[in-house]
Amino acid sequence: MSVISVVNASKSFGDVEALSCVTLSVGEGEFYGLFGPNGAGKTTLLRIMTGQLEADSGSGITAGIPWDEPLAIKRAIGIVPEAETPPTFLTARETMELVCKIREVEDPEAKVDRWLDFFEMEEKEGVLCRDLSKGQRQKVMLAAAFIHEPRVLLLDEPFINLDPIYQRRLREYLRLLIEEGRTVFMCTHILEIAEKLCTRVAVIDEGRIVGEGALDEVMAPVGGNLEDAFMRMVEAA
Amino acid sequence: MPLDTDLYIFKSMMLEEWRLHKSFQGAVGSHLFPLVIFLFSAFIALVSPIILTNIDVPRILLILHAAAFSYGIFVGAMGYIGEHAMTRRLGQVNMLLQMPQIYPVGFRRMMAIFFLKDAVYYILYSIIPLMAGIAVGAPFAGVTILSVARLGITVFLTFMTGMGVSFLVSAVAVSSRDAAACLGLLILFLASLIWPFEAIEASWLLLPLGYWDAYHPLYLLSSAIVATVLSVGAVLMMKERFETPQRTHSEMLGPALRMFSDLGGLGTLLAKEWVELRRSGTLAPVVTGYIAPLVSIYAIVWIFGEGIGIPLCFNAVSYGGFVGFLGVTVYSWVTNLESNEFLNAQPVTIYQVIKAKLVLYFLLTTVVSAGYVVSIAVANGQMNILPLALLASFSNNVYVAAVIARLTGLWTNTMLFDAKVLSKFAGAVVPPLVTILFASFMLPSHSSLATQIVVAVSALLLLVSVPIFKSVRGRWRGTPFSFVTT
Repeated sequence: MSVISVVNASKSFGDVEALSCVTLSVGEGEFYGLFGPNGAGKTTLLRIMTGQLEADSGSGITAGIPWDEPLAIKRAIGIVPEAETPPTFLTARETMELVCKIREVEDPEAKVDRWLDFFEMEEKEGVLCRDLSKGQRQKVMLAAAFIHEPRVLLLDEPFINLDPIYQRRLREYLRLLIEEGRTVFMCTHILEIAEKLCTRVAVIDEGRIVGEGALDEVMAPVGGNLEDAFMRMVEAA
Repeated sequence: MPLDTDLYIFKSMMLEEWRLHKSFQGAVGSHLFPLVIFLFSAFIALVSPIILTNIDVPRILLILHAAAFSYGIFVGAMGYIGEHAMTRRLGQVNMLLQMPQIYPVGFRRMMAIFFLKDAVYYILYSIIPLMAGIAVGAPFAGVTILSVARLGITVFLTFMTGMGVSFLVSAVAVSSRDAAACLGLLILFLASLIWPFEAIEASWLLLPLGYWDAYHPLYLLSSAIVATVLSVGAVLMMKERFETPQRTHSEMLGPALRMFSDLGGLGTLLAKEWVELRRSGTLAPVVTGYIAPLVSIYAIVWIFGEGIGIPLCFNAVSYGGFVGFLGVTVYSWVTNLESNEFLNAQPVTIYQVIKAKLVLYFLLTTVVSAGYVVSIAVANGQMNILPLALLASFSNNVYVAAVIARLTGLWTNTMLFDAKVLSKFAGAVVPPLVTILFASFMLPSHSSLATQIVVAVSALLLLVSVPIFKSVRGRWRGTPFSFVTT
């Protein structure tokens, strides 16, 4: 059953066509990776799928909810946006508390403590997000996306700025989510990580999907290497 | 570092400043600004024999130099505050001034070039057009070109002194905010000795003004030295390296959430706004930014009445109308606290955030505006029209908030620079304000009719505000929080 479905989605910004008739589908329990060169349309697609942007044409569902209900989509999913932008003047703990309050999370204190512990941020919990390092801010963004334990997660470069320890910890957590039957849609440039996690992948270039399939199928023609498969699809496009 | 590199950086900074202006004002607005100043000053100089009959030359000089000093302070402060404000509003903003962080350029050297750039840019952009306008109009007022040239020099030196003071406070603030605050208070104290306490002559502190007493070049020389010492001192005080301490803050959101808990979901967003307002140190500038124009209006009325000899019929109702109208500055501030980008990932709508901002706006403006109107009524012995004044203030406050929220949403600062938006705003708020003002002027002679007009217009404003508030949701539906990013 598809929890994410994109049908002929197009989007332009002025004269620039960011997406052109994109169609894809993600089943429940899948770890779906979307790759593409810079400016290919990954973030635009993710923003449309998460209710942040409206498509010019086409339709779709995210977490089983049609795109014309953006608030319901945002309620149902967890989002890690491209830029790590937690509120400047709130502390790490306050940011998570705010998200718990907005999302009406039960037992918020325990949840906040859990995620502060997960990212070993206890010592930083009272520091303003403005004064945190980029990696620490990214941890706050990740915690804010996971704290309500959504069934569907859409992540834009979630590993960016994380050190290897937390990259591994995050990888293991995401794998656990898939084992629990949750769905993850991820845009990334880090193909090594994607290779370890994704069950299905798609490549987007100049706003068009230029290749899609199960990870094994995509890598098979080039001898089991995602980077080579990616290069081949982009060059062929 | 060779001089030609300094020159290259200087040119690049000039270009940066110009592009920054264009991004806020648009190309046409940026080009027209000096022309507007020129025409305005030429007009004032031309008609000065008619409108300045009751105000003597020393007082005109004092006003001009005080304005030049304040402008210098403002320009100097913008270098420091402006970038903070832009970073807060637009996210990461990288200016040439930040180059020393990663490039082999000394920070003090960059600050010196930055100071020169500010001085040259704003002299070309505003001081020269101002003086050129005066030069064109002054001969018709019987003022010689030589006097205008002298005035140009003293205004220039005063402007530079203001900039120097501002840079010095900024330099001290980098090391210690407390020390900078003390310095700021000292400057305010010295200014208060000139006015309102009149304990010292203005020329004791504003040396260029002293030149007009004795026409002695020593005043010009000493004020040039003061301006140089202030600016060089500011540059030398700048640290080549500084860091932001990672301080731990006590929980503020929890108490704020409890404070606004009766408001449900709106209370959550309001609590966030409240914490941001407090933590960002914006509360004081918001209140000051609201009160300053009100004090200015009072001063203008005073100048017209006492200085020019044309008493304006301002009363508590007139001030009430104005105080409501000026609420737009508060809304502009509260929409400028944070970029809101984070909320893109949360299940909240722009409309909910606008509502939270509006509640914050009313919390801030209601107390201040009511206090101001009551003070004016008490000071002028106009308690009989206080209810009418409060009604005019409240209705304008509500109406202006509705219009500005509808027109600019969460991007007031940026969108008001759009000529279309600005003209719509002016078209919507100026006519009722002017009507209330004229009606208030009629109060002494046609009390009943004037009261009816003020009540009718106020009621109409309140009624019209309801559908405007309701339309805000539809106007901003589907707009991402990052709608305006550059």
